[in-house]
Amino acid sequence: MKLLVCIWAIAINTVRESIRNKILYALLFFAVLMIGSGVIIGALSYVEQERILQDVGLAAIRLFSVLIAIFVGINLIYKEVDRRTVYTILSKPLSRAVFLVGKYVGLTLTIWMQMSIMGGVFVAVSLAAGAPLAWQHGAFFLLTAAELALVVSIATFFSSFTTPMLASFFTTGVWVVGQLTRNLRDIGARSESRAVEVSTAALHRLLPDLEGLNLASEAAHLLPITPSDILFPLTYAFGYVTLVLMGATFLFERRDLR
Amino acid sequence: MPDGRAVVRVENLEKYFRPGFGLRKKQILHGISFCVRQGEIFGFVGPNGAGKTTTLKVLMGLIRPTGGRAAILGRDVRETAFRRHVGFLPENPYFYDHLSGRETLDFYARLCGVRSSERRRRVNALLRWVGLWKAADARLRTYSKGMQQRVGIAQALVHDPDVVFLDEPMTGLDPIGRKEIRDLILRLRTEGKTVFMNTHILSDVEMVCDRVAIIVNGRIRYEGATEEILEGGERETEVVLVGLASEAAELLEETVAARLRGMGERIEVRVTEKCVDDVLRIAMECGAEIVSVTPHRRSLESIFLSAVEEGER
Repeated sequence: MKLLVCIWAIAINTVRESIRNKILYALLFFAVLMIGSGVIIGALSYVEQERILQDVGLAAIRLFSVLIAIFVGINLIYKEVDRRTVYTILSKPLSRAVFLVGKYVGLTLTIWMQMSIMGGVFVAVSLAAGAPLAWQHGAFFLLTAAELALVVSIATFFSSFTTPMLASFFTTGVWVVGQLTRNLRDIGARSESRAVEVSTAALHRLLPDLEGLNLASEAAHLLPITPSDILFPLTYAFGYVTLVLMGATFLFERRDLR
Repeated sequence: MPDGRAVVRVENLEKYFRPGFGLRKKQILHGISFCVRQGEIFGFVGPNGAGKTTTLKVLMGLIRPTGGRAAILGRDVRETAFRRHVGFLPENPYFYDHLSGRETLDFYARLCGVRSSERRRRVNALLRWVGLWKAADARLRTYSKGMQQRVGIAQALVHDPDVVFLDEPMTGLDPIGRKEIRDLILRLRTEGKTVFMNTHILSDVEMVCDRVAIIVNGRIRYEGATEEILEGGERETEVVLVGLASEAAELLEETVAARLRGMGERIEVRVTEKCVDDVLRIAMECGAEIVSVTPHRRSLESIFLSAVEEGER
């Protein structure tokens, strides 16, 4: 119980701190602009104007949410150490793991809040343009929330032991490669080289498979989604986040806070 | 007052740092040992770069020792549960400037597991105690350096700890701010807390510390009671004379290695305690008037400087 109180106190403080980050508002502004621009882009097309509007809107939500997660997340631990606020916190009766998880939960809540704002704008634009809204859109937002939680955990991992510059580079890299690991594995499986097959399969297991968390096409085109299309990726994301945070804790606990 | 039970025990503590990637490790702490007793104000004194803050960070679990052992209240410093009995004020403390003084203390009280019913009472009491009651709801970014320092002390005490660690608590404060912080530290002792104070301001150490340890280049050069240090060794005495002839002055310099400082008719003679009788005899023999005889304690500064010189040799 005390553990949860500590995690929650750090998380709420992180939310209050993160929402003061100007980068977040700049990216949020451009995301809203892009979701709104879907109306103009759709109007330029002769066919499926609503589909184009939604394609652009959902892609914007996903892209800008990830960018916010990366640019706010990379500073998460680094700033605490750099500004030395961590000294007073870690001198209290709580472990570094609790501190790290609290920061992670706080940032994830912040990212989810801004995704909800983007989602609200998307719904308003869709309703105004007469584009259909269905439960597939709900599934998209659910899995995007899971993807963001995963990206934040990776940003937290790199932020726990390196500089913001390197952390942003690594996190962006993992996110980009994470979109491709499933394709790489499939290409590797068709390869005649055993080494290529094994290495692409290993890469798929090591790096996150983010393609499974992307239901943008299904939502925009109202394609069928089975329960396993939602449950399996959710379980996968939860497991991956847990492992990444354990790794981050392992490294952070061994770090000298000079 | 101190009852002799060791609250902080450091034994053969060593710490190496690697200054940069690929560079050779540098030893910061060379097997230091000392102890802090219950109820005392302990001054940990040393020049910049001596290893004071490194030692304190090891004690606070912020950095890991390379060798040796450090324990607070009998528990290894790498544990966390015992920290509910420990308060810490870092050097130049930083807090979240979007929070007010009251919110900051509430945040730290939550981290320490202070129950909600107790939290409000404790936070209000501390805000009054450190003199921040009127500014309690202002954002920390509007606080002066002295006010930030007082928030720092309040957060260190928010869970009513038994041992308080202060890293350079007077740094950057004006004389009034220093006096206020000094008074707060003395009040901690009257409340039965043990205080460990890292500092290089020797006058503060002389005024508040029961015991001191002097660290130079990562080695403890001296550890003992402040009074013993100041009372021990050869003390100096100042004899003020009027009408001392120049021949007699030369005689004093030659025979008792006296240091003379003249101001007109009046001459101040500084000699070691054992030579006072000789000075008085010579003064009376040559007809000088003896105005005063004042024994002087050794200053901590002179002891500190000789420890530094010795350490750098």
